[in-house]
Amino acid sequence: MRGHRDLAIAAAAAVVCALVACLVPLEIVRVVAALPLTLYLPGFALVAVAFDGEDLAPLKRLTIEVAASLILLVLCAFLLNVFPFGLTTVSWAVLLALLVIAGCSWAARRRGPGSRPRGSLFASFVRPSTRSALLVGAAILIGAVSIALAQKPLPAKHAAGYTALWMLPTDAEEDAVVVGVQSNQQDSAAYRLRIGIGRGGGSHTYRLKLDPGEERTFEVPVPPASTGRTLAVASLYRAGRPEDLFRRVTRWLPRQPSFP
Amino acid sequence: MVPARLIKPKGTGDGLSLPLIALLAAIGLLIVSIANALSRATVIETTLLYWAGLLLIALPIFYKLSSKEPSYRQRFFLVLLLGLALYGVKVVHDGIYFTFTDEFVHAYNAESIARHHHLYYFNSIIPTTAHYPGLEGATSALMMLTGMSSYGAGTILVGAARLTFMAALFFLFARLSGSSRGAGLGVAIYTGSSNFLYWGAQFSYESLALPLMVVALMAFAEREAGPLERRTPWTLLIVLGILAITITHHLTSYGLALLFVALAVMYRAMKIERPNPWPLALLATGAAVGWLLIAARQTVGYLFPVLGDAIKAIWSTASGESAPRTLFHQSSTVAENVGVTPLAARGLALFAVLILLAAMVVGIRQAWRRHRDEPLPLLLMAAAVVFFGALGLRFAPAAWETGNRAGEFLFLGLAFVAIYGAAELLRSGPNLQRRRLLFTVALGVVLFGGVISGWPWDVQTARPLQATADGHEIDSESLALAKFAEQRLDGSRFAAPEAEARTLVNPGGQVAFSGQGPDIEDIVNTEAFQDWQFAVLSKNHLPYVVADRRLASGDSIRGYYFTVPGRYNDALREKGVVHKFSQLPVARVWDGGRIVLYDLKDRP
Repeated sequence: MRGHRDLAIAAAAAVVCALVACLVPLEIVRVVAALPLTLYLPGFALVAVAFDGEDLAPLKRLTIEVAASLILLVLCAFLLNVFPFGLTTVSWAVLLALLVIAGCSWAARRRGPGSRPRGSLFASFVRPSTRSALLVGAAILIGAVSIALAQKPLPAKHAAGYTALWMLPTDAEEDAVVVGVQSNQQDSAAYRLRIGIGRGGGSHTYRLKLDPGEERTFEVPVPPASTGRTLAVASLYRAGRPEDLFRRVTRWLPRQPSFP
Repeated sequence: MVPARLIKPKGTGDGLSLPLIALLAAIGLLIVSIANALSRATVIETTLLYWAGLLLIALPIFYKLSSKEPSYRQRFFLVLLLGLALYGVKVVHDGIYFTFTDEFVHAYNAESIARHHHLYYFNSIIPTTAHYPGLEGATSALMMLTGMSSYGAGTILVGAARLTFMAALFFLFARLSGSSRGAGLGVAIYTGSSNFLYWGAQFSYESLALPLMVVALMAFAEREAGPLERRTPWTLLIVLGILAITITHHLTSYGLALLFVALAVMYRAMKIERPNPWPLALLATGAAVGWLLIAARQTVGYLFPVLGDAIKAIWSTASGESAPRTLFHQSSTVAENVGVTPLAARGLALFAVLILLAAMVVGIRQAWRRHRDEPLPLLLMAAAVVFFGALGLRFAPAAWETGNRAGEFLFLGLAFVAIYGAAELLRSGPNLQRRRLLFTVALGVVLFGGVISGWPWDVQTARPLQATADGHEIDSESLALAKFAEQRLDGSRFAAPEAEARTLVNPGGQVAFSGQGPDIEDIVNTEAFQDWQFAVLSKNHLPYVVADRRLASGDSIRGYYFTVPGRYNDALREKGVVHKFSQLPVARVWDGGRIVLYDLKDRP
């Protein structure tokens, strides 16, 4: 690729981006590397090969390069699926980098030495005035704030809160259950939790106060039943209404392996 | 030599420079985001604020595009800005989770590919989607290389596809009309398509396939406009595009095949001197049919009954056997007593159709005069006429969705023809400034009309899926159950109402069935348990059943959110819907009050 700066840069960038995406643990850095590797460079290589010598307008070329990248991503997924290792971080990185390198090498051979260098996309851009730069900068900032606002959960006072009660065996042995109480209420609330195990297992009572979003779990042993299954029942009562059952979950242990 | 910064940029005659328009669009997006935030906060009705934000995004761009001043490049950036800002409206609709009907399904597919490293992993909600893995395969590249979730990677990928769509449509219209002004106007008109703002921007296979189809059309137009010896690069792009579309989306691949077949026939009938594109028609048809028969046979059972029902519905509605559908109402039995679209909004949507009709009537004469010897423009003109015929499908109850989905393809033709209608209005002469204002307002009405008819009125602004209380995050019941399943029951199989099935699939990552195949809908909706229900659940290995008293649970648009008493999601079914399982009895695993999860394998 000697003498073809754009192709050499693209091939080198593909290798660097692939390495960064595979090896760097920081997500934001990987995003910065992966975006050109997936959404631009494959299309750049394809267009370099296919449209060699074409006098494409820079914006049209850019559009085709991104479109071709999307197309190649779809087709590469199909291709990778054929192999036993399938679609993995490494296989994607290697395939995309190889694709770009192969495309750029092929394009360099087709161009031959002394061919006219490709015009830069930014060559004909007018340097923006300070005012324009400030306006565009403000627009980008406001756009980012808009998206950040959308991703932030907000207080929703009129939304009906609730509390969830659940119960599961602690493990495959099923010699204990774990009972969870999760509050998705608008305010802190106090509860009484009663867990009854079988006929002779007795009961366990807990008093708890949960903040919104808080979850508490309780582990209770389940003694093996001499015959049949052991019934575990967890009942939740609100502190202010001790007589009214609020939530109830049940289990028979051990669980049946199949439908009866 | 004059320093570049001293050159006065073009297009400042009306005081609207490109950077200023970008700032206005960003402020518009912020206003929409604030409207959604206030709506999520259940504070006040924010519909007006939302529409004001949309106006601020679109109208300055429409106005600028109607001017003669902007250069080719400026028009290109204006349409990209329009596409980006309107995509932003979809992105700021909800937070960090996909919440649109099909997004749960495709996000599950993408997560499955990332987890299992292969395509075609079974999808329980829409099995067909697993056999068209183009979008999810491409998304998996971003997910794996960045470490992002399907939400982040999918949002970026669909955003890239959307920008590609805007750019390719601009170049297509510029090539066909020979005018960058016309191209900009045509792309702006396309944003009035009813599925543009929301449906077409969701993380779903068509959101990638439709842009690729426009790229293929653009490449075809460029190929036909250039010298014969330079056709190969464009042909290569078209061929690769056809193959990618084939494995991405069924309907788009059929539409593209139909289009190339029509072009091949027209080239022959019109004795066009350039080579007939029959090889492309053959490839597109062969690829679509081949993929259908070899890899995606389930599509026959998924897609064709819908089309069959549509045809029957048209017939029965036309013959008076069944009553026509009321416009602005949903097709199916909606689980919640949803807010009706206000009369003014309905009027605006109908007025938008009249504006488009007027633009078509005026434009088609000019377009015919200029392009009657060119097959592709003729096809687009035919599509524009058929578009208004397809609007009639909206009156047939089982056909409205077919009409709605066909609309986004046919609108390509309508937008092209409307360019000439707009050109008539904006031709040089007296009162041009007023006519530009009139055009801007008319296009604003078209955009609003599309938005109103494309997405239910009551969910134009967001609802709370997550909220904060005392500084802590709390989740809606559907989301909390999905998270519980993900953390504690991973790999389980569920029968659930529509809403819970989708959240269990994504972000829950479980296998969840809903709907009628198998008949889960009747199992979760009936008040008494019947023997056949147990047989269905057993046969399909579905030990976990979600019972939900909320009527909204059957609604795949509204069912995921918090209940807001007196406003939405507070209508309940009979208690038997939940209690019938306790009476069997079977174990209650998770009890959130309105939603209860049962385990049918856990019995006395």
